[in-house]
Amino acid sequence: MLIQLKGGRVIDPVNNRDGVGDVFIENGRIVGNTEGRTPDEVHDVTGKIVMAGAIDVHSHIAGTNVTLGRQLMPELPMLAAEGGQPIVPSPAALGSYATGIRYAEMGYTTVIEPAMIPTHAIEAQTELAAIPIIDTAGLVILGNDDYTLELLRGGRTKSDELKDYVAWTLSHSKAIGLKVINAGGSEAFKFNARTFDLDEEVPDYGVTSRGIVDAMQKAVADLGVPHPPHVHCNNLGIAGNVETAVATLEATQGLPIHFAHIQFYGYGDEGEKGFSSGAARLMEAVNKHKNATVDVGQVMFGQTITVSGDILRQFDGRRAASPKKWALNQGDGNGTGVVPYHYKSKSFVNAMQWAIGLEIFLLAEDPWRVLFSTDHPNGALFVRYPEIMHLLMDKNERARWLDGVPEAARQHSNLAEITRELTLSELAVITRGAPAKLLGLTDRGHLGAGAIADVAVYTEQKNKTKMFSAADLVFKSGNLVVRKGKVVRVTWGRCYHVEPGFDAQIEKRVKAYYDRYFGADPSWFGVTDAITHRPDRFATIPCAS
Amino acid sequence: MDSTLERAAELLARARFPLFGGLFTDIDGATAALALAEKLGGVVDHAASSGPLRAARVMRETGATPASYGEVRNRADTIVVIGKSPLARDPELLAKLFPGKPGLPRPGKNKRELMLLGLDKPSASKIPKGVPTTAINGKESLPALVALLAAATREGRFEVRDKALCKALDAAGARLRDSAFAVFVYDPAELDEPVLHTVLEIVRGLVKTTRAATFSLASPGNGDGVNLCATWTCGLPVRTSFARKVPENNLWAYETGRLLKSGEADALVWIDALEGEPAERPKDAPKGMPTIVLTSKAAKAGRGDIVIEVGCAGEDHDAALYLPPIAGIGVVKAAKPNKDNPTVADVLNRIAELIDSKGPGKKGAA
Repeated sequence: MLIQLKGGRVIDPVNNRDGVGDVFIENGRIVGNTEGRTPDEVHDVTGKIVMAGAIDVHSHIAGTNVTLGRQLMPELPMLAAEGGQPIVPSPAALGSYATGIRYAEMGYTTVIEPAMIPTHAIEAQTELAAIPIIDTAGLVILGNDDYTLELLRGGRTKSDELKDYVAWTLSHSKAIGLKVINAGGSEAFKFNARTFDLDEEVPDYGVTSRGIVDAMQKAVADLGVPHPPHVHCNNLGIAGNVETAVATLEATQGLPIHFAHIQFYGYGDEGEKGFSSGAARLMEAVNKHKNATVDVGQVMFGQTITVSGDILRQFDGRRAASPKKWALNQGDGNGTGVVPYHYKSKSFVNAMQWAIGLEIFLLAEDPWRVLFSTDHPNGALFVRYPEIMHLLMDKNERARWLDGVPEAARQHSNLAEITRELTLSELAVITRGAPAKLLGLTDRGHLGAGAIADVAVYTEQKNKTKMFSAADLVFKSGNLVVRKGKVVRVTWGRCYHVEPGFDAQIEKRVKAYYDRYFGADPSWFGVTDAITHRPDRFATIPCAS
Repeated sequence: MDSTLERAAELLARARFPLFGGLFTDIDGATAALALAEKLGGVVDHAASSGPLRAARVMRETGATPASYGEVRNRADTIVVIGKSPLARDPELLAKLFPGKPGLPRPGKNKRELMLLGLDKPSASKIPKGVPTTAINGKESLPALVALLAAATREGRFEVRDKALCKALDAAGARLRDSAFAVFVYDPAELDEPVLHTVLEIVRGLVKTTRAATFSLASPGNGDGVNLCATWTCGLPVRTSFARKVPENNLWAYETGRLLKSGEADALVWIDALEGEPAERPKDAPKGMPTIVLTSKAAKAGRGDIVIEVGCAGEDHDAALYLPPIAGIGVVKAAKPNKDNPTVADVLNRIAELIDSKGPGKKGAA
């Protein structure tokens, strides 16, 4: 069946397209030349904006850590709704099902869960499979596990074995890429460290955080995994940490790397409050290091919960818990900390965080390397995305919000002086084209012939919050799933992953390791095609080598 | 088979408030039960959920500090077993937590040590070789002993007449303060809520300067797995009702025994399809309660029950279950693959289809 989206303004920066035209869909794909053919279904989208479905590169939507948050705080949607956030006041509103529905209504069609625990990959993948409509993929965490650390002991890297171990872990959990969270910091926490810096050594193992990230970068590059290591740096959330972020960027030696939620690293320690915007310094470094991409991790005011494998940071963060409760899962590898948090517009620090995130977006020279995220739910719940898009595209909206923050925050940030407004094309880059490119999912994020037919149609309006809250039409793999901002058909997406090859010896070694230290067998947590009972659930994307 | 399932579907389509109980099943079975309960506006409970749900409520009120099995086994230098249940339920527990060979690198220089609180020292043969063991017991109740240990750990004042006990508590408090990683092991089914709070407070006091954690015994019948599944599905653990627009969790109101006895539940789907002890079915349900039993065991069916034989998860078919050694959900391969009987999920999903084919479902949760 040939479907025509007729007469809309097509925004497709990947194909240098921004103009009125048609988009054709057939058999779940975008088709190019349809000359002489009569479409079977025509949607008149005159006056509307047509984009590829949006892609979220970093959103905690599934797995042990996320469910620990649900266990700690089932009332989150109710508290968040009180603050006027667009969320149904029901504990189920952040459950798997509602997650897929809400993402689809906003025009999102692919979302990446960025923190699968290797031994808990079955739960993460089962939860991902319970999310309707959107396609998903997971990043698997290494870098604080004893197997890795043993291979890096004393800084003498066993590169071949590490490469095999990374490949095995990616394949075993069906992940699309590797996540490294406060490399070595969680292991140091097990030895009662309460801070951990880039050049500190992991107790007993004697390898530095820098050494771990470096080894992982090389391993992932050697394996040809399209998505570079996805790194959560040391010292998250601490005043003055912009220096850590810049040092980490400089340590990357030109190899591809992705830094997650860098807003949380954009902090200087100047001024009478010892907390200032480091956005300009950070972005100078980001703009210079063209091997690096980042996602922002924008903060929005309101109730949320922070969920992170950076257990050391979360342990420290417990003191600011609001409501006053917290959970620390001292698990294998990274572990997890879950701390409820309420960002307040009247708080100097929170207002600075909010402003710094926007500064980062707006100071980016190359939007292809500065991607959209809130690190859901850490900076803000994903339901807040339309408001952020509004802030990025409308300087008057920013001015209106700035009026509501403390004077000191206005003084200490540079946001008021920035007049840039992102264009629709730039928004399409940071929410579509760039995430697809970064993930190696070249079949999406654009509307060129052959692309998967993930399409979002919006009514252009000045109020961008309204515009992006409810897509007029959303097609997922060619199926019409949303009409006038409401889901009209529930479909089930696919999960993308890589399968880099490895020397089979690693299987024996890993088996012996789990047997000895855990009394467990790796087959227990290996993700197979069978776990979801949907034969086409998993799709492999190729590695370069 | 389909005629039995049709009868079951008819029975459930008529029910106003069906209860999905037992729930001794794998993740697929739990997923299907939750979906059907949601569709019909019913309620879900698990037959071994009292303890874990108390722990869940403590967590919702104030938090939790669990450690994984691997962390306890490899890195804890002081393991405090609280109450009789942990060793009674898992006689191999001490051997697992003290494997007797060097583990992963661990903090501190302390020798690994075992403390037993509220139980007498078992015979030497039951204690792992070479593990220094202290038993702290006496005439005090278990809640009192936990409170006394909390006081001793903080060097607080407490009075007990039993001088030996007093001395043991002081020594235990000192050892805990000196531990690099102390872990408190318990079965939440044995501890009341205030006691769980007290244990958590001991941990929270210790972590100001050192490390500490709790290690809770997994509940029978894949209770932890079913609760996790309920939580990612609807944001809440079991004892949740889908009768209203928003799912509602209530440990008292939606308990199986009460729902049956009061007659509030007007149909029961009893699920018992795992190896090991059967799910304990309440005995005082009203006679004639319309009941569907999904079981892998020789069923003691009531008269009029619709009994559907299903495969045993992990035995007849592969199953995702909560596995304590990985502190999470893993897949257990079928020990003796046998496709004679359907899985719990097969049956419940088919019933859902049959109900759908006869008319729209009642409602779904938000």
